[in-house]
Amino acid sequence: MAEKKELYLGYSTDKAITPFFQNWLEYLDQDKLMKSKCSKCGTEYLPPRQHCQKDMSECTLVEVSEREAKLYSYVIVDFAPESLSSKQPYVVAIGEFPSGLRLTAHITNLTSMPEVGMNLKLGFDKSPDGKMITYRWLV
Amino acid sequence: MVRRVAVVAGGHSKFGKRYDATMRELCAEASKPIYDEGITQDKIDASVLSYAASQFTGQGAGSALMADYIGLQEKPHLRVESACTTGTASLRAAWGMVAAGLYDVMLVMGVEQMNRVSSATATEYMSRAGDMRWEYPYGISFPAFYALMASRYMSEYNMPHDVLAHIAVKSHFYGAQNPKAHLPKEVPFEEANNAIPICRPLNLYDCSLITDGAAAVVIAAEDRVKEFTDRPMWIKGIGAGASENMIQDRPSLTSIPGAKRAANAAYAMAGLEPKDMNMAQVHDCFTIAELIAYEDCGFAEPGKGREIVENKENYIDGRIPVNCDGGLKSKGHPLGATGVSMTYEIMKQMRGEAEKSSRQIKDVKYGLAHNVGQSGQFVNVFIFERGW
Ligand SMILES: [Zn+2]
Repeated sequence: MAEKKELYLGYSTDKAITPFFQNWLEYLDQDKLMKSKCSKCGTEYLPPRQHCQKDMSECTLVEVSEREAKLYSYVIVDFAPESLSSKQPYVVAIGEFPSGLRLTAHITNLTSMPEVGMNLKLGFDKSPDGKMITYRWLV
Repeated sequence: MVRRVAVVAGGHSKFGKRYDATMRELCAEASKPIYDEGITQDKIDASVLSYAASQFTGQGAGSALMADYIGLQEKPHLRVESACTTGTASLRAAWGMVAAGLYDVMLVMGVEQMNRVSSATATEYMSRAGDMRWEYPYGISFPAFYALMASRYMSEYNMPHDVLAHIAVKSHFYGAQNPKAHLPKEVPFEEANNAIPICRPLNLYDCSLITDGAAAVVIAAEDRVKEFTDRPMWIKGIGAGASENMIQDRPSLTSIPGAKRAANAAYAMAGLEPKDMNMAQVHDCFTIAELIAYEDCGFAEPGKGREIVENKENYIDGRIPVNCDGGLKSKGHPLGATGVSMTYEIMKQMRGEAEKSSRQIKDVKYGLAHNVGQSGQFVNVFIFERGW
């Protein structure tokens, strides 16, 4: 059995990892964003849930193929929580894919002020040691 | 059988950075006026202690500490927690126990001690109310959730930031006349509109304060009310609502769906409409929250809240005076105390007991309290009726 790689999501991370979440992180480590789909009723979730919100059935992971989205809303965080103060200011965005699925992530390559409705592209990011991994929005 | 329940007394500490006190002393300040009126421990059957965030003090099981400090150690007590709406959630819990006949007289004590940690640490603690797996790792602070609403609102309705700055100006205008306020000073429009950014589009003056303070009210069952006061404030309507936990999952960011549900339920229970309200205390943790509250409470149509601001209808002589005690913005926002403080303020306004006539609203028969937890995951709306 391959050694389990230590992976955490985001920039200031919750370290409560479960087997389902670990599996999802391993896909993300290969630049694959996975949603989850209920094995009983087919409802899809992004971010993924292990259990369907409607019937508590187990969900399976399915890759999100969409790469382009529109900016639904944003915030420029000038005064950050203590754990992220070294990164401030940073931009948190809710992007909406054409399918209607939404994803909350940082926009990391802005050169001017963000505008609601602008085009976003999905990207992936890793810390230098490869342990902190995430998705991000690019303009 | 459900019994009618009234608020019969209240007390309120000075709000502020209270380095001279801990939650113990703040509770004493808020309960003293109640005991001084003769509503002493022997007349109180039980209490609900409202504090939202024990991580600020590190004190576990704080309700036992506080009940003991104010001499209620032998009376049943419990703690209620639902973020910033903890105060009215506690009142709702107490109302249920009194209405059902379990107790006749209950004390609801709201308190929070928040200034023994740095602002960055306080921001860190509050950001952990977001989803710890999917939101917290992206550094979405408490103001950031409301900034996400503000960006969307300003875009959908093409609204400039000026409108929000006018709300801050109004809050500070009244806060300056409230001796219990944390930041009792007037703020000119230009200063409010151009303050340093916190979470753009929100700036310093769009944000409520990190405050220490306590507020308390006593409620009594209908057949006991006369023992305590001839000026009872009846709890006429109670509505509670909830919304999706992750903000990205909300169908809209220009309204808080749980707040609409809570307001509608409160109006239905009271048999009243928005136009019947003579005043409102709304949850202005951020200026955008106050604007959205006008719409969620039915004082303005969606997207038209700015007209209340532009026509100054939210001042004491306007159509619907809002937060004429300074609100969370200027009076301050000690999380667990806030909803209780709203209730106290409506009682004082009904009784004509605002400290200064310049912030006294005339002839209040009905008052509404709108208290939101986190970014709308929990909401309580109360409608109170003057009983004399
Ligand atoms: Zn299902």
